[in-house]
Amino acid sequence: MKELSYKIEDFTFNETKKAINTSKLHVFYGELEAIKDVSITILENTITAFIGPSGCGKSTLLKTFNRMNDLVECCKITGVVEVGGVNIYKNIDVSTLRKNVGMVFQKPNPFQMSIYDNVAYGPRTHGIKKKSVLDSIVFDALNRAAMWNEVKDRLTKSAMSLSGGQQQRLCIARALAVKPKILLMDEPTSALDPISTGHIEDLCKELRKQFTIVIVTHNMQQAARISDKTAFFLLGDMLEYGNTKDIFSSPKNEKCERYITGKFG
Amino acid sequence: MRDKIAKYIFFSCAIFSIFAIFGILFYLCNTSIPAFREIGIFNLLFGTVWAPDKEFLAPSDKFGLLPMILSSLCVSFGALLVGGLGGVFTAVFLVRFAPKRIKAPLTAAINFLSGIPSIMFGFFGMVVVVKLLSIISPSGSGYGMLACIIILSMMILPTVTSISKNAIEAVPEEFYLGALALGATKEQAMFRVEIPAAKSGITAALLLGIGRAVGETMAIIMVAGNRAIMPTGLFSNIRTLTINMVMEMAYATDLHKQALIATGVVLMVFIILLNLLVSFYRRDRSHIKKTLFKRRMRSISFHPYDIDIDTPRRQGQLETILKYLAMVFCIMSLTSLVIIVVFIFIKGMGHISLDLLFGVSGNAGMTLRPAFISTIMLISLALTLALPIGIGAAIYLVEYSKRQNKIIKLVRLATEVLSGVPSIVFGLFGMIFFCEILGFGYSLLAGGLTLALTILPTIIRATEESLLAVKNSLREGSYALGARKAQTIFKVIIPVSIPGIITAIILSIGRMVGESAALIFTSGAVAYTPSFYDQPGSSFAVMMWMFSNEGLYINAAYATAAVLMIIVIVINISIAVLDSKLKKRRSQ
Repeated sequence: MKELSYKIEDFTFNETKKAINTSKLHVFYGELEAIKDVSITILENTITAFIGPSGCGKSTLLKTFNRMNDLVECCKITGVVEVGGVNIYKNIDVSTLRKNVGMVFQKPNPFQMSIYDNVAYGPRTHGIKKKSVLDSIVFDALNRAAMWNEVKDRLTKSAMSLSGGQQQRLCIARALAVKPKILLMDEPTSALDPISTGHIEDLCKELRKQFTIVIVTHNMQQAARISDKTAFFLLGDMLEYGNTKDIFSSPKNEKCERYITGKFG
Repeated sequence: MRDKIAKYIFFSCAIFSIFAIFGILFYLCNTSIPAFREIGIFNLLFGTVWAPDKEFLAPSDKFGLLPMILSSLCVSFGALLVGGLGGVFTAVFLVRFAPKRIKAPLTAAINFLSGIPSIMFGFFGMVVVVKLLSIISPSGSGYGMLACIIILSMMILPTVTSISKNAIEAVPEEFYLGALALGATKEQAMFRVEIPAAKSGITAALLLGIGRAVGETMAIIMVAGNRAIMPTGLFSNIRTLTINMVMEMAYATDLHKQALIATGVVLMVFIILLNLLVSFYRRDRSHIKKTLFKRRMRSISFHPYDIDIDTPRRQGQLETILKYLAMVFCIMSLTSLVIIVVFIFIKGMGHISLDLLFGVSGNAGMTLRPAFISTIMLISLALTLALPIGIGAAIYLVEYSKRQNKIIKLVRLATEVLSGVPSIVFGLFGMIFFCEILGFGYSLLAGGLTLALTILPTIIRATEESLLAVKNSLREGSYALGARKAQTIFKVIIPVSIPGIITAIILSIGRMVGESAALIFTSGAVAYTPSFYDQPGSSFAVMMWMFSNEGLYINAAYATAAVLMIIVIVINISIAVLDSKLKKRRSQ
């Protein structure tokens, strides 16, 4: 195996309190510039919400944090993205990065395996084979995702038999099982009903104590309810970034104000 | 690191098809060079006399392939006219005019027709079609061109139907709705708008139909009459390129043998040209665009200002006639299927006996025991080899082909050409390469290796389809957990696509059970039971050919046909069941 220039321990989080830091970040999809000169610092143990109308680049920015953009063929990136003080677009091991920066997607995407195997997939991938260790990781992850009691009797059943909301929480548990430091959530509740959405929002608030969460959402109230910081994007520009309370009570940017009051978007 | 290794393994599986095609071409050409040199390309291609036994003739005079080339072309175009057109019309009927309730069973029936082994068609032709034709034949013999055309038509019809059906269904629904909104009838919309829009796909279907007809061997060897003379009429005895090889290969030596292999080269060149044409027509699918749409709309001969409610509409009569033609063709293809199945069961079931199935077989009395054993041995060897390579190639094509690079394109083209290569050419290559160059002799080993080549494209294609159906979100989910590509492929993607892979296995078993032309000169045609892979052995279809060939075992041939038919039916049912399960799962 090629020697990595950075080990997992190099993703240090407690010195600077900066979980993610970008400067002069530009992202291109072919000709289209999806992110224009964004410099943002995301602090540890906060929930940061990205809001803005469709196509404003918020999901794109989210995906640069764990390099999921690598899967998009024509995507080009300039500028610096630092996670835990490490420039992740330099010579690093993407696998290690993604282990540290987990992601939950818009639509629940459980694998066609049992509930247990879904949660154990990540740890197994990273080389944990011992049954007792896996058991405790699965218990811990499902417990944190607040669904242990719901599924403890049917861990061997297919994950496809769960409801949509349960599937999404399972995906969160699956992401937690590899013990990430940061959790990226790309509109995690947009495919869910209000009750499931409530469960997931409660979960986010709970997880905040141990994780740094970045959430992309179309739902203004959701951003106001759960986030500490909010960033507003429009057509690839970050127009405003600050404490959620300030943004929702007295936005400085006129477009941002019109967006959060529902006048456009 | 592991990722790199996996990638290289998948890559080498993918380029295997390219090697296979070039290997086949190289060894066929290489072996037949003396023939081309001694006889001369012109004499070989345009000589009208084929008389290898005539010692007194110079080589340049006695090896003329023109009768065979003409015969091949005549029967292929004849089959195209009947079976090809019939296929397109059947597809039209299935897509738009068939009542909803019978659409699925009809499609299944047509697919079933394409799964019947060629030897069965040949046998059916020999005992039914030829007998019927002899009534109207001026010479009193039903063998010859017309019988070939009828049998080939039945065989290419399902191929043409299923490909043109896909092409017509790929035409955007708005074309159809747009035409209806202009006041066109259902028939006008179909024939004036949808068919022209699907033109390139239908052309590809017809070309592939010709390819199948040109390469067909075992079905027509039993009805063609097989005399190497220039074709003169519908009842003229003919010998096609493929027949020429099977008839004489068993005893040919030296220049004679090389001339026969040269026959294979001519056939192969023809097949490759056809396939290049097909890939050309398939490529310009993108022309289904709005501009074309508008032009088609204009071409509908309906004048909105002439509406006269009192007079009944006279527009679109031609299209209505065409619709009934489509119905007739569909019924005809269905009847032919029913007739074949019923006939073979009625004639064959009574002759199936325990002794025939499992009795001791030898030159004195042949039974099916060797066929069971040989077929199972052949299938297991071929699958063990072709399955990993095919799946690996499909994985490379789907999971690593983000950039449309040249190698991927070449692999796809090679796979397509490989799937169009006639069985007899595979047989020829197997004989030259496995039996002679590698020194395996007539053996199950050589036969199994040859079969592995023939089923490779089927496995690649079916696996590819099932991989493409795997949702991208699963891949993303796995990568987001830090899994590497190889881990994602083996743990997430392959498990999901297993039903598709099983379909691929069953499809290729179906092809192998009915395979005869590729086996006669590789695993041999013998009556006794093989004990290991170094011995020759006859598969089911070869056994059936031996039974029907000698005229002495006609009842045994019927019985074998019935057994083979049961196997084919079981295979088709299991594919249908798997498919419907897959669809259910996808719709979830």
